[in-house]
Amino acid sequence: MKGAEIISKLSTILDGEELIVSSNGNVSRQVYHLLQGDQIYLRGSMGLPVPIGLGLALAQPYRTVLVITGDGNFLMGLSSLTTVAHIKPHNLKIIILDNELYATTGGQETVSSAIDYKAMIQGMSIDSVKSYDMRDDENLITEMLKDTLKEKGLKVLHLKVEEDTIQLENIPHHPREIKDNFVKRL
Amino acid sequence: MIETSYFLNHLLDHGFTFSTGVPCSYFKDLFIALEKDDRISYLPATREDEAMGIASGYFLGGGKTFLIIQNSGLATIGDALTSLAQLYQIPLLVIVSYRGLKPDRDFPEHSIMGDVTKPVLDAYQIPYWIIEETNWKVVLDNALEVMEEISRPVCILVKKGVLSE
Repeated sequence: MKGAEIISKLSTILDGEELIVSSNGNVSRQVYHLLQGDQIYLRGSMGLPVPIGLGLALAQPYRTVLVITGDGNFLMGLSSLTTVAHIKPHNLKIIILDNELYATTGGQETVSSAIDYKAMIQGMSIDSVKSYDMRDDENLITEMLKDTLKEKGLKVLHLKVEEDTIQLENIPHHPREIKDNFVKRL
Repeated sequence: MIETSYFLNHLLDHGFTFSTGVPCSYFKDLFIALEKDDRISYLPATREDEAMGIASGYFLGGGKTFLIIQNSGLATIGDALTSLAQLYQIPLLVIVSYRGLKPDRDFPEHSIMGDVTKPVLDAYQIPYWIIEETNWKVVLDNALEVMEEISRPVCILVKKGVLSE
């Protein structure tokens, strides 16, 4: 499975009330074009989707906050997950789409292939972490996304995915409008 | 020295209930006051850019946030500032210790950032003010007015002895 296919799949599971923070580049474009709602589509802010999601989850404790990030972005802000582990917000969900590439900049490799995500994140005392290789197997995807989004508590879902081939248009809004639309929706 | 509980009360009057950052010894007493005051929560971040991300997320969720950082962190926040808080127009109060001046002559690790603190803030296009014990309320109110007006981060610089012994 590719990352964009997993984001598409999310549209059948989300109830529209979730607040989404998506990482800059391809992931934000996919979330903008493939999912509903005025979400926080990051443009720059490399390495910051997790802390932004954390702040949002603390300010909106009754809403589910979903962070969708690529592996390069996640690894740049890796220490933020230790802050998440320290505070464990019950309404924060993090999905890492790991294609082992900086795909937006042309497919340069990240260091992701060296990492055992499950062991690393469990080592941060986030016991709910799940990690699956989706490159050859898509059977469990609905169940995994449901578990991440519908079950209570902090969740981290790490998915190995194939490289995307889909080309999507840039997001046609200035970040100022992205913010205004999001704040209005709240 | 500014009475730290007055300082926090003043921030509460302005609607701040959440803070994050990375500590500096210049804020030791301020942190003690923050720990005692359960009306404002403080979340320790691992890096200053992360703190700016958390603060921005908190603002997007409808809250009002200030950051506490050392001026060394001005080097770390560059992208979080320019491609997040300034770009998305997120108002934040950034309280920054002004290390590297005379009282830090035995701490060469602060000297270069001390020299470039103002040029760095100018280059980032962040409005900034220095607060002293004698003028802090007026200066802080002015800074917060500008913050709301431009809907972007503003910075106050704090020298040694102003918010901690």
